[in-house]
Amino acid sequence: MQCVEIKAILKTPIILGGGYLTLDALLASLIFEKCGDVEVAHTTVPIKQTNGLFHASAALLEPISRSSVSFVASLRAEHDLNPDLLKKRAGALKKIKRLRRSDFGNVLNTYGSLQAAHISWFAEGDKDEISQLLQDVKFIGKRRASGFGEIETWVIEDSDIDGVVGPFDEPLRPVPVEMFIGDQSSLKVDAAWKPAYWNPENRAICYAPELIS
Amino acid sequence: MSTFEFFHNSFGKHLTNKTNKLHMDTWRALSSNHLQQKKNAKGEHSSCRLVSGWAIVRPDNTLLQQKLAATGLIYDDRNRFDAFFQELQSWDGSPRIFLTFDKAPIPIANLFMTLDLRAVRICSPSGVETFDYTTAAPSNAGTIGASLHRMKEKQDAA
Repeated sequence: MQCVEIKAILKTPIILGGGYLTLDALLASLIFEKCGDVEVAHTTVPIKQTNGLFHASAALLEPISRSSVSFVASLRAEHDLNPDLLKKRAGALKKIKRLRRSDFGNVLNTYGSLQAAHISWFAEGDKDEISQLLQDVKFIGKRRASGFGEIETWVIEDSDIDGVVGPFDEPLRPVPVEMFIGDQSSLKVDAAWKPAYWNPENRAICYAPELIS
Repeated sequence: MSTFEFFHNSFGKHLTNKTNKLHMDTWRALSSNHLQQKKNAKGEHSSCRLVSGWAIVRPDNTLLQQKLAATGLIYDDRNRFDAFFQELQSWDGSPRIFLTFDKAPIPIANLFMTLDLRAVRICSPSGVETFDYTTAAPSNAGTIGASLHRMKEKQDAA
C-alpha cells in the first residue's frame, strides 16, 4: 500500500450531482460493473481501510465555470404492466383502469455541471490495481452517456497524503467525528462515510470537506 | 447519534411507535396519516399526512407549523422563512433538521441534520438545499437559501 495522487484530465464538463465522489466509491462502482455483486465490490476495493473508513479522498477540483443543464426524460405508458397478466376476479376486469397519459409525461431534470481542467484524489492503496481499474474508464460522474465527464487521460503519481487528512489537517473526505484526528474547526456535516454511500444507515456526524456545487 | 435516532427522539416518537428499525419509523412518521387538531362535521379528528408547512427538529423538541393532534410538539404559525431565519440567527451549535413539507412525503434519503452554519441543509420532498449561511449567497443559491441570505443582509444593514 502506498500513498498516491490520482488525476483525471477532463475533456468535457463534469456533473457530480451533489455528492463527494470519493475514490473508493468510484472504484467500487467499477468493480461492481464487472462482477455485479455489491458485497464483492465493497470488499475488494484496493485501498487501505481503518475500521471501515477508506483512505481515499473526496474528488478535488477547482471549477473554472459552473452552469446548469436540463434534460427531458420521456416516460411512456407502454412500459406499464399489461393488465392481461393480472389475476382477475369475475366481473372485476372493468375496475382495472388504464393509467392516465399524464402520469407518464415528460420529466425535466436539471443538473449543475462544472468545467475544470482536472479532477484529483489522494489515496493510500495498491497503485497497480488502482491503475488497472481506472485505465479503461473514459467517463465519470452523472450523464456520462450525454458526454459529460469525459476523461482525456489518467495520471497516477506517488504522494505523501493518505486521502483522509490533508496537509493543513483538514478532512479530505467525510470522517466520523470520533475517528477524526485533525483540525476540529473543520466543517461538520451529517454524511455517509462508508459504502454504500447511498444508504442513509451509513451516515454519521462527520468532519468533511466543503461540497463542490 | 444517527439522523434517524435524532429525528425519532425529538419528533417521530410523538407520531409513531419505536421499533428496532429507526429508518422505517422515520419513513412512517413522514408518510403516514396523523390525526389533526381540526375536527370534521362529526366532531372527530380528521387525519392527514404532513403535507404543508415546515418543521424544525431540535435536540429536545420540535417546532411544527401543521396543527396535529399529537401533544409534545410546539405548534408555530410563522412562515418557513421567518422560522428558519430566526432559528439560524439564534443557533446554539446543537443539531437541527429543517424540513419543508409538500404533497409528496419527504424521502428518508433527503433527511440530513444541520450541524454547522457553513452547511445548512433544508430537506424537502424534491431534494436537499445546502448553503453556507456565514457568507453571501452564491449566484446559484436555491429559493430558501437566497431568501434567508436576503433577510440576513437586511437585518445586518438595519
